[in-house]
Amino acid sequence: MKVGLFIPCYVDQFYPNVGVATLQLLEKLGVEVVFPMKQTCCGQPMANGGCEQDSKGVYEHFVDTFAEFDYIVTPSGSCTYHIKKHYDIIEQTPAVQKVRKSVYELVDFIENVLKIEEIPVDFPHKVGLHLSCHGQRGLRQANASEITGVRDGQISKLLRKLKGIELTELDRNDECCGFGGMFCVTEEAVSARMGNDRIADHLRNGTKVLTGGDVSCLMHLEGIVKRQKAPIKVMHIAEILNGNQP
Amino acid sequence: MSSREKILARIATNKPSLTVLPNVPIFEGDNSIERFKTVLESIGGRAIEIATKADCQAAIDTYYSDLKNVSSNIVNASIEINPETPKDILEQVDLAVIQGEIGVAENGTIWVPESNMLNRALPFITQHLVLVLDKNNIVANMHQAYQRLEDVGSYGVFIAGPSKTADIEQALVIGAHGARSMMVLIY
Amino acid sequence: MNHQNHPELAEAFNKDFERTTWHDETLWFVRQKRDKAVYPIPEFQDLRTLASEIKDHTLSNLDNYLLQFEENARKNGVHVHWAADATEHNQIVMDIIKKSRPVGAEERNIRLVKSKSMLTEECHLNAFLQKNNIDVVDTDLGERIIQFRDEPPSHIVMPAIHLKKEDVGETFHEHLGTTKGEKDPQVLTEAARQHLREKFVAADVALTGVNFAIAETGSFVVCTNEGNADLGVNLAKVHIACMGIEKIIPKLHHLSVYTRLLARSATGQPITSYTSHFTKPAEGKEMHIVIVDNGRTQQLGRADFRNSLKCIRCGACMNTCPVYRRSGGHSYDFTVPGPIGAILSPNIDLHKYSSLPFASTLCGSCTDVCPVKIDIHVQLYKWRQIVGNNNELSTSKKWGMKGLAKVLSMPKVYDLSGKLARGALRILPHGMTHNQSMNPWAKARELPDAPKQSFKEWYEDNRK
Repeated sequence: MKVGLFIPCYVDQFYPNVGVATLQLLEKLGVEVVFPMKQTCCGQPMANGGCEQDSKGVYEHFVDTFAEFDYIVTPSGSCTYHIKKHYDIIEQTPAVQKVRKSVYELVDFIENVLKIEEIPVDFPHKVGLHLSCHGQRGLRQANASEITGVRDGQISKLLRKLKGIELTELDRNDECCGFGGMFCVTEEAVSARMGNDRIADHLRNGTKVLTGGDVSCLMHLEGIVKRQKAPIKVMHIAEILNGNQP
Repeated sequence: MSSREKILARIATNKPSLTVLPNVPIFEGDNSIERFKTVLESIGGRAIEIATKADCQAAIDTYYSDLKNVSSNIVNASIEINPETPKDILEQVDLAVIQGEIGVAENGTIWVPESNMLNRALPFITQHLVLVLDKNNIVANMHQAYQRLEDVGSYGVFIAGPSKTADIEQALVIGAHGARSMMVLIY
Repeated sequence: MNHQNHPELAEAFNKDFERTTWHDETLWFVRQKRDKAVYPIPEFQDLRTLASEIKDHTLSNLDNYLLQFEENARKNGVHVHWAADATEHNQIVMDIIKKSRPVGAEERNIRLVKSKSMLTEECHLNAFLQKNNIDVVDTDLGERIIQFRDEPPSHIVMPAIHLKKEDVGETFHEHLGTTKGEKDPQVLTEAARQHLREKFVAADVALTGVNFAIAETGSFVVCTNEGNADLGVNLAKVHIACMGIEKIIPKLHHLSVYTRLLARSATGQPITSYTSHFTKPAEGKEMHIVIVDNGRTQQLGRADFRNSLKCIRCGACMNTCPVYRRSGGHSYDFTVPGPIGAILSPNIDLHKYSSLPFASTLCGSCTDVCPVKIDIHVQLYKWRQIVGNNNELSTSKKWGMKGLAKVLSMPKVYDLSGKLARGALRILPHGMTHNQSMNPWAKARELPDAPKQSFKEWYEDNRK
């Protein structure tokens, strides 16, 4: 099994620790991981901004970088969703089709490819899970409250099995954080308000460690936590599963 | 070209290729009187079980003795309503007691065809409404209701509880324009 | 009119923090009521699929179903009119109204009572009729409130949801003479009831919208909770029903699917209080149907967007939308606000509404809540591309995107740019990197710490 690690551009630049945790976690789980040095980005930022035509070069570069792998694993539901859903505007060569099929969000890969249901980590903290919309509704990694009242999903399944952990029961289990790519600056007022409200929900219900599957949401939420000096530590799910402590 | 022809031509040009019309199942469900009553009460209505249709009069005497202008073809009426009744008379109706045809347990609604209404405006202009319903005519859901309802006639309404609104701050208020209360007598 | 775009109007809305909280919570409450009404129906998801497929089928045979509907309606004694656009619609409606002047009422204005119709909002019918000396009274409570205030609706199901009871109290004090300071919804609704009963009784003509039009019978269905449609229609001499071409469904029994979905999705009720089936006019009365295009056939021709025509106007996408809840219906500046409005409006005027497809995080909640399975967030994404391709993006954004795309397709340039940017972020003082006029991010958020090493640099040092 040849596994390529994709560390999204903003994770590479601003959250290298998430990349390190992802790599270490996969290695601990017995996966041989290759990190192709010429990788950059999946192209989502431009595409969501209405410039997907400009992204074509980035898409092709991504495919070129990762076509050789059986699986492409990334600590981002959002980038995974973008590659699967929106790489339909470039020619669907065998390489493009293969890449779109082989890309996996980290937790999805752990549970559904590696078939690992439990990770032996102590995490005696009250943890609030932020469901990223692209992971949840895009990749269907978690139930959506529009469809069912049962709150369940891939990340919470793994989290629940950590030793000592307590999961926060939120008032609104799957409301968007308001990051939304360019939305976070073009619609700054609404974006910030949405983020504020998510953090308020976590504070109200006792979250001490806030986690999730997408660094983009977490970057936005952490920005608010820090500005408000709120007593919450933000960690990506890869860091928790890797055994890092807050 | 008339607008009619223009619109039809544009549709013919722009519509996608024909897709299949799905079959709608009838779906199962609870058609009990209890279910019907519970749901009706949750939407602001009230259901009373009576032994026979003849007991309607007693029920009206019990629950609505304070209302003066009663129109009905089932119980004693004090004001006669027909399709030609002028608006100023219709406006005076306090209570209308008329027959409902099909009750739907899932949503507490009752089919009332024009032929049961005495006047098309009556079920809406009356201050209070009582519908009389045969318990054998309660079905589980809307699929079963439309299955029974072969013909909708000239005019007919599914009525579910009293008139209501929540247009002011989502605060539920019963009695917007139509009936202020709605009771179903089930026999 | 100076057109403001969504971010500006949304920012203005958010200036009042408490009111934004209230607006969000009020609509979230409706979303929760919807959930409670939806979860217990085991076949709810099947119903969504059925509703979607019936509408897909109908759109794929729409011309024939409209003809069938017209033929049956005419057999029922109903007058059928066709309007290509808003202007023609308004003219048709006015002509019918003018012909309905009762004998002996030559001196006064003709009186029209209306129940809720988003189509007539879209056509700006009220203003047109009033200019032509017709008295127009909106009879839905929410609509009456905003008619008094001369405001557009902010929601398609709850038109006055942007107002607090104090606002309504003030308006009713001014227009209906209720006690100053009275804000009890019960009391205010009773005042409206008394006021509107007079209007119902006095009306010459009643106008309604159409929720569903049934091809096989020529009937149409109007759903209300207040009973205002039936009260108006059954007291007036003439009934005019206005419908978009997309309101057609093939068969009567298809109503079973939509009546189970509509109210549950809209307000969390099991069904609307009144689901009224109009087939033939009452003895001695008139019934008219106006079938309107106004841009719909154009949308039908857009393969990526045509399924927006499946919309049954329940408003669930508004109640669930985290952006709508925090920016208000008026921030969309279009007849239909919220996510569905953001995919309908660019079809009408791409330039004017170019900011609406961007008024979303693409979270996808709208798509999952939609009872007829319109892929709203997918269409938002696609409209963004059309906005981009039509040069409707700001020059700085356009070239910024092009530059970014270039950098991201060249690994060495990307690595270097990242290094420089992180270096700058570490060196520059907080006051500069977090300057709020230069950097909107920093208004409410801290930037992430800029690490010395990128992951790539770490990897090179540790794993190569």
